[in-house]
Amino acid sequence: MNQLFSAAVERVSRVAGVRGALLVESEAGVPVVSELREGVNETAIAALAASLFRRTAAASETADFGRLNTLQLEADDGHVVAVDAGDLILVVVVDHDAQLGLVRYEAHRAAESLA
Amino acid sequence: MRGSELPRLVDALRGPIHVFVRESRARIALLVSGAGQVLAQHGFARGYHVMNVASLAAATHASSRALAELSGASRWEHLYHGGRERQLFLAPLRTPLGELILVVIFDADSSLGIVRLFYENLEREVAALPEFQQQPERADQSSFEQDLEAGLEYTSPEAASED
Repeated sequence: MNQLFSAAVERVSRVAGVRGALLVESEAGVPVVSELREGVNETAIAALAASLFRRTAAASETADFGRLNTLQLEADDGHVVAVDAGDLILVVVVDHDAQLGLVRYEAHRAAESLA
Repeated sequence: MRGSELPRLVDALRGPIHVFVRESRARIALLVSGAGQVLAQHGFARGYHVMNVASLAAATHASSRALAELSGASRWEHLYHGGRERQLFLAPLRTPLGELILVVIFDADSSLGIVRLFYENLEREVAALPEFQQQPERADQSSFEQDLEAGLEYTSPEAASED
């Protein structure tokens, strides 16, 4: 199982412009497997991304939009993409100028491989 | 920590604990010294609950530290219990004045990751407080109990007077 998780994270991390990717236990908000560039705070990213994903998922269900699949956060200097992977969330931290379409595609493929 | 030092320490901790509770969305938070003196608390309704949890936290801290040393782990990071509705997080908070113990109870409104994240921030903030830089006076046997109860009187005087 651990190999499967590592493979999913590695797949996304290989995309150009990805600063790091991690699988986070969605309820606890703690990292399971990660591959991050130096200087990226793993604990903070895992906790905050999981919290944001859970709250947005609750908002989505409240608004009758159904299950949340993807959360994309855009900021001045980069993006965070979070994809539902069952009990886990795949979180990808991306440079501002990365190809977001490719990142999203690979993130979804990686999340599907865990289902 | 001596009873005479507590008002200064309790005052200094009010701000950081308030921020911790707000950011982590904890339901209950308690900060005690290694001896079980209450230094800060949030969310308790009754004084005897505070004292019971403080004593248990100090005992758990001592046991965990001993167990960590025996097992060669040198020090313990935190204890976590995930209940059905409420979860418990207990961790040592290292300061120049010595180790304090943080007890946090939270529910689905927060998560272990969030509590752990803001616990790390709290530890950094408390360790940098000027009030925590001086070495404390040593308590003697006769003053120990008085010092122990002083913490509750300063953090929640109403709760202390009801017991």
